Amino acid sequence: MKTLWLLTKKNLKLLVRSKTSALIVLFAPLFIILLLGLSYSSSSNYGLNIGIYASSFTGDVESLMSSLQEQEFTIVKYETSIEDCVEDIQGGYIHTCVSLPESLAVESNEQKEVLFYVDPSKINLVWVVQETLGEKFNLKSQEISKELSGNLLSAVSDAKSKLEEQGTQLSSAKEKSTAASSTAQEISQQLNSLDLTVPTSSYDQQLIITFKDTVSPKIKSSLSEVKDAVQTVQASDLADKSAILSSLSGVENKLKSLDTLIAGGAVVNGTNTTTVPSSGFLGTLALLEEELVGTKTKLTAAATAVGSTSSGLSSATENLQQSVSALENAQQRVTEMKANFDAQKVTDAKVLSAPLITKIETVGQKSSYLNYMFPALLVLVVMFTSLLLGTTLVMMEKNSPAFFRNYFLPLRKGTFVMSTYLTTLVITSVQILVILAVSAVFLKDNMVQLLPVAGVLLLSSSVFSFMGMGIGYAFRSEETGTLASISAGSLLLFVSGIVLPIETISPTIRSIASFNPFVISESIIREVFLFNAGFSGVWSGLATLAGYAVGLFTIILIAEYLVHKHFISGFMKSRHLKHRQQEKRDKNNV
Amino acid sequence: MKLIELKEVSKSFGKNGILQDVSMIIEEGDLWGIIGRSGSGKTTLLNLIAGFLEPTSGEVLHSFKVTEAPKSLHANLHKIKDQIGYAPQHNSFYPKLTVMENLLHFGQLYNLPKDILQNNIKSLMKATELIGHENKLAEYLSGGMQKRLDIACSLVHKPRILVLDEPTADLDPVLQKDIMNFLTQVNKQGVTLVIASHHLNLMEKVCNKVAIVHNGKVQSNGSLEEIRRPFLKDNFTISLVPGDDKERLISVLKTLPIEKIIDRQNHIIIHPKNIAQTITGLLTMIQDENLYLNDLNISRPSLDEIFEKITKMK
Repeated sequence: MKTLWLLTKKNLKLLVRSKTSALIVLFAPLFIILLLGLSYSSSSNYGLNIGIYASSFTGDVESLMSSLQEQEFTIVKYETSIEDCVEDIQGGYIHTCVSLPESLAVESNEQKEVLFYVDPSKINLVWVVQETLGEKFNLKSQEISKELSGNLLSAVSDAKSKLEEQGTQLSSAKEKSTAASSTAQEISQQLNSLDLTVPTSSYDQQLIITFKDTVSPKIKSSLSEVKDAVQTVQASDLADKSAILSSLSGVENKLKSLDTLIAGGAVVNGTNTTTVPSSGFLGTLALLEEELVGTKTKLTAAATAVGSTSSGLSSATENLQQSVSALENAQQRVTEMKANFDAQKVTDAKVLSAPLITKIETVGQKSSYLNYMFPALLVLVVMFTSLLLGTTLVMMEKNSPAFFRNYFLPLRKGTFVMSTYLTTLVITSVQILVILAVSAVFLKDNMVQLLPVAGVLLLSSSVFSFMGMGIGYAFRSEETGTLASISAGSLLLFVSGIVLPIETISPTIRSIASFNPFVISESIIREVFLFNAGFSGVWSGLATLAGYAVGLFTIILIAEYLVHKHFISGFMKSRHLKHRQQEKRDKNNV
Repeated sequence: MKLIELKEVSKSFGKNGILQDVSMIIEEGDLWGIIGRSGSGKTTLLNLIAGFLEPTSGEVLHSFKVTEAPKSLHANLHKIKDQIGYAPQHNSFYPKLTVMENLLHFGQLYNLPKDILQNNIKSLMKATELIGHENKLAEYLSGGMQKRLDIACSLVHKPRILVLDEPTADLDPVLQKDIMNFLTQVNKQGVTLVIASHHLNLMEKVCNKVAIVHNGKVQSNGSLEEIRRPFLKDNFTISLVPGDDKERLISVLKTLPIEKIIDRQNHIIIHPKNIAQTITGLLTMIQDENLYLNDLNISRPSLDEIFEKITKMK
């Protein structure tokens, strides 16, 4: 354990005493964390440039734009077409385009559609846009929804108060109608109880009475006279007595037959037999008389009943008139309520709940996620490779035993720098070729863009190589140089928008980070690879990268010159220091 | 012919003065030895001679081009780099390249025509006895071979002057001797050599001129004879191998003007105060006392002794 601690202590001492090692090992992570802390601890909102397109910038659109500006979004108005805005997204000047309807006021049962145009290759920016702008538009949608619901609810409330007001009147009308109904029912029952059945027979009652009073007694008297005649004949001795008796008998039969007809029974007239009611003609007459009496009684009773219902009907009529009045009033209110409801233009629950809907449209051709990630991945590989290669090559040369001899070679100072750069470029070129060749298998649709992409990557590689070489010149040991390269690469990566959107970092750091060569390279490759941008579209980025390369090359030349100038001085100083220390030790030993 | 001249050259790093008022002339064909203790300023002097350092004061002039007046070596180094070879103390070649690759690499960077370079390499391979090891990685060579390769790399462009810093450091005595022999051969081929070393006995054998650096100053410089001259009068040593009676011999010697008597196991070393008086007195005593001596040697002061004297004096 003691040995282990001794060795550990020795390692720590060595690390701390080597200034650059201590700097990079102890302070680089702290520095990175500090920088990231400064970058991402900002409470301010995202630095998004939002392009707003609307066919007409009405008051509510302007109001929405103002509220977005309050959130420190930079708003750019596009009045001609959304395509201009989309082009600017591809150019990287605008993060999101929002296509707004002419007005945000919802006046029908159709939802208003807000279209967001985002660059899908900036995957981590898309969610920021969704989150921030979506939230803003959701608020606006809620505001409109609230207003619409308020209108509807006030109509409902108005209807409610009107209904409450009509409630009592309707209750009274109901009671009156109920009373009228029961009165009418009673009347109905009374009327129903009247037997107003009319006999079906039709006859001349007077004639019957006259006939009854005159014919029947005459028949009776004729019959009695015939009987007397018969008796008279029978009592005489007349020769033709039998003939006379026969004729008298015939007359008697006919009179009897007639009497039967009137009194009832079958009457034989020659060969025809006529059937008369059994009760006879007189019976029938008596029946008719009876019916007429009954009818008279009924009608008398009906007249009495009608008389009694007349007052009930008057009361019911009054009630019904009041009900009609109440109902008319209620109808008017209902008409008013209907008009009020009809005035509500939005009645669809879907529109009420979400009057504004947002849709996200992607800019550029639909591609796989590999396409979207491809530019960042390429730059990532090239950055780390170039940085580490640059540092390693410089370190290799610096730490090589032949380093000293190189100072005596008849070469310009820049030649060594260029040779290191060229070595890096050759290796990186091979790597880029391999990567692009492998990528071509997966990205068949974008084959044409791979050549310009390779060119941009070489330029990026130059910048990162020079950066790596600079780190190589700045540090002494290979390990610390490598660590510094990785730290530098990580830092560039962290403030590149790949890990976290660059738009989310604090404005100061963001403005610095926009000069990050990683960001510039990735942006150019994205534009070339995904949006087929030409040279004119990316020339400024390329010029910046070229400027970086030239600037870094100049710095490295100066570094090389300084290293050359001070190498021997440093070497001699350390050599003499060692000797003095040795002499001191020797003296102390003596 | 004068190649390099140092005129009252001083060099300091910051407040630390390393060398003061050094003046010396290096002529073509010289084999200079720069001797001094560690940290005395030898390497600084070498770097001034090689033009690698700019003097803080004074001038280091070169006359590589006969037709031109002497010029500042440091300021014109880029023009005359092909005239100078430098072999630092530690090997300065690429360990991961083969012997041939190293020689070709450094040779080609001097823009030599291909045939000349091939000839140079061929002769160097022969002289350094590296033939048979052409394709061996430099890191796998023995210490002596690596040093020879290093010197060969410094000579591949055939410089007129070769500056070597401790070429025999960390080598065993046999290899030291080999290297010195090789350097003598190089010098004989016309290459001016300036060698810094603290192996004084080796330097004494090969160098024709020596500069003794001590406390940041060149205490003495010139040919060995010139350096030795001030020390000849009182710095001879007499070595006696006594016969039977060693004790009597020592007691007799003590009566002579002798500074120090060193009694070694089988011989006695005498540092006389006055060489003439001592020798006369010694011979008289031998005769008078009837002493028998097996051997008697009178030695000039060695470089080692001169160096010790000088460093003790200053």
